Amino acid sequence: MSHTQDKSSALGQGVVVFVYLAILSVLEYFVAVAFDATSILIVVAVVKAALVMYYFMHIYKLNEESDGDEHSYAYKTGTNRIGLWLFLLSDGFVFAGLLVMRSNLLGLTRPPLNQLLGLGVTSVLLISSFFMNRGETALAYGDVKAFMRNTMITFILGLGFLLGVVLVEWRLAAHEGLIASFGNPAVGPVGAVFYMMTGMHAFHVLTGLIFLAVVWNNARKGLYTAEKHYPAEAAAVYWHFVDLVWIFFYPALYLIGKAIAI
Amino acid sequence: MKRFSSSALAHGLLWQLIGTLFGAGLITGIRAIMGLELTAKFFFTEPAWVLGGFIGAISFLFGSGVTSDWVKWARGIDTPEHHEEHYSGWEKFVNVSLDHKVIGIQYTIVALALICIGGTFAMIFRTELAASQLQFLTTDLNLFGQNGPQIYNTLMSLHGMIMIVSILLGISGIINYVVPLLLGAQDMAFPRLNAFSFWIAVPAAVLLLSSLVLGGFDTGWTGYPPLSSRAPVGVQMFFMGVFVAGWSSILGSLNVIVTVLRMRAKGMNAMRMPIFVWAAIATSIIAMTATQFIGLAFQLVLFQRLLGMGFFDPAKGGNPVLFQHLFWFYSHPAVYVFILPGLGVISELLPVFVRKPLFGYRWIAMSSLGIALVGFVVWAHHMFTSGMNEYLRVPFMYSTLLVAIPTGVKFFSWVATIWQGKITTPTPMLFVLGGIIVFLLGGLSGPPNATVSTDLHLHDTYFIVGHFHDTIFGGFVFPFFAALYYWFPKATGRRMNETLGKIHFWLMTPSFLIMTFGMMYVGLLGMRRRIVDYDPALGLDTSHLVLTICGFGIAISVAIFLYNFFNSIKNGEKAEGNLWNSRSPEWQVPSPMPMHNYDQPFEVVGEPYDYGLEGSQYVKFSSAPAKSKHK
Repeated sequence: MSHTQDKSSALGQGVVVFVYLAILSVLEYFVAVAFDATSILIVVAVVKAALVMYYFMHIYKLNEESDGDEHSYAYKTGTNRIGLWLFLLSDGFVFAGLLVMRSNLLGLTRPPLNQLLGLGVTSVLLISSFFMNRGETALAYGDVKAFMRNTMITFILGLGFLLGVVLVEWRLAAHEGLIASFGNPAVGPVGAVFYMMTGMHAFHVLTGLIFLAVVWNNARKGLYTAEKHYPAEAAAVYWHFVDLVWIFFYPALYLIGKAIAI
Repeated sequence: MKRFSSSALAHGLLWQLIGTLFGAGLITGIRAIMGLELTAKFFFTEPAWVLGGFIGAISFLFGSGVTSDWVKWARGIDTPEHHEEHYSGWEKFVNVSLDHKVIGIQYTIVALALICIGGTFAMIFRTELAASQLQFLTTDLNLFGQNGPQIYNTLMSLHGMIMIVSILLGISGIINYVVPLLLGAQDMAFPRLNAFSFWIAVPAAVLLLSSLVLGGFDTGWTGYPPLSSRAPVGVQMFFMGVFVAGWSSILGSLNVIVTVLRMRAKGMNAMRMPIFVWAAIATSIIAMTATQFIGLAFQLVLFQRLLGMGFFDPAKGGNPVLFQHLFWFYSHPAVYVFILPGLGVISELLPVFVRKPLFGYRWIAMSSLGIALVGFVVWAHHMFTSGMNEYLRVPFMYSTLLVAIPTGVKFFSWVATIWQGKITTPTPMLFVLGGIIVFLLGGLSGPPNATVSTDLHLHDTYFIVGHFHDTIFGGFVFPFFAALYYWFPKATGRRMNETLGKIHFWLMTPSFLIMTFGMMYVGLLGMRRRIVDYDPALGLDTSHLVLTICGFGIAISVAIFLYNFFNSIKNGEKAEGNLWNSRSPEWQVPSPMPMHNYDQPFEVVGEPYDYGLEGSQYVKFSSAPAKSKHK
């Protein structure tokens, strides 16, 4: 693997991108609280998504030339990358479908949710993406220990997000009456939409956690080197994809429109 | 028998049964703790059946062993890139193989099996429709907890979806077998994913068929709520079957795209790819992405039924029209998934049998992509009568009519290719020509359905049934048979019997044409779709009798084909050389194809379809044997 930059600047880039993402997230939150500006929220989400896709998911690697030998690790990695991105494209259609459903059924209204909790779990997921990127960068420079450490932090944060949504947010929402509203035409299917969207995302977080555990364990066994670690890269890209989805789901559920009173 | 009972298929099915009982038992246990009802009309309660069906499908995959390499990788154990083949003969096909040729044949066999099942269903309800009044599917009948008309509804609905799954598997079969050979690749890009895509279709078929005995469903293949939110538990098995089969389609297409992008022979640039590869790419783009929408739509109804979430229930603030949007966003492009490979087969075989270059190669290649892309923005023409916003009608009418342009490109190109050609008509060519004619009829009967003013009258009539049978037979069934007759010698080293093949063609084609013309005719006279009976005063009895007779004509012709197919594997005339005198690389080597395809790699040095041009060459095999690339 050829490096165009040294390790510390690669890690530094991760910090800078993370700071941008954090600023945008805070901006997004205050825009939503202060004005009713759906279009700004969409623009911010698209910018965040672009940052994640380029700097964390390294979409440009799809363009990387690999030598002609079809049986080299580098060539196969190139093939695997295309396969994974096509899978993410396909999976993206599920979430796009859910967003279509949300906008059709709820329009410019949203579920009554705890704003601070929403911001909290969003931050946890974003920070986990930062550590994931740090770990992957370290592995690209052959630092398996740092990869394991950062992956462990990512895993714990990811688990925190999952438990935060399923155990805390779902309960609070149920307490707010979102489950009871399943059958209430006056409120509309807001509860159903909320549980479906967060549930589908949580399922992907869960699978991401399983992948992280697998690559952590295989890194522990010493299976990854600076040159050969595609499974670790794939797990990282998948983890960032889960974050990418949340970049759109968070404003769709928490920020856009007026909260429905139940 | 022992060899079968130890096969991956038998293990998978056994584990599917165990998994289903486990999942259903788990829910039943939880319900016991919660003090809810434990049994329902079909023994288990609906949530128990759903979790059971789901765990059963997963258990099948682990039980059959198709995931075992992945499990090893997850545990950090390396496996060889290729597995040694342990099996020969029929055992190869009931066990997990990573060879794309074996998987292609597995797909094809399952597709043929499903065609037989779906066809049998059609024969049953077609017989019922032969005369007005209820003949044998009467209200006194009681089968699987359904009376006659309910059985009719279930069979009619299942006929649709079983045939759709069989088409998806059929195109996967042809693509899997042929595309790596055309590209000069040793296998697909991801052989394990390829095997997984095939094997996941088997539990899907089991789930789909199980809906028949679990109360059936009366929604048609579209499964619209509110009908589907009230149907018996069978509809849940139908939803899960489609969902699981969808993954087969998605992962299979992903594999095709990556294979074409990464594994082409030297010198095969985009404009020198065999035309069938372009069709495979176009179809895969749709199948890989849009399929998620039908999966999502069915999943939402599944949850609506289980948990009372009112996505599509107006009484709970939901919107039933939303379902139709999500559903048709896949299900209309899906018909292009069905026909594009078939049209690709027509373009691929036509030059071989007229000994002329394919006219307008680039235009045909681009028209496949054009159909695929335009196909994404036409879905709402299925919904002109649904009560969606009226301002959507005209844009969708025009976008739909736009599809006629790339399709027309194909027709003109085929006609120009045939023009002044030296035509020979062995069986595959007969089916190619039949396919062109039948698809033309399907194409011409399409615009009246796309045009709002006429569709408002034609919607839900038998005219639609006639139209889409024309498109599917012309776009899939005829080319599929052509492909089977054409590549059968490549797979087996023997050819199918020509006489039987011609009887198959000359029995099927007229029967089919009369049947679909008849369907359109009764449709225009007021016959509605999906109903078990019709008013004798409509005066359609004679027409329906003719339709039924023609339906049986098709069934008999397919039976002849099946006999020919399975008999020729052992007893067919030997055909090991370049039987059709084709320029395509797979015919330059002896049949049947060797285990790892080409012993010597080839290079593309010319245009693929320059038939009849002196001194032209498409592929050049290097004289040095290929390096052994296997562990």
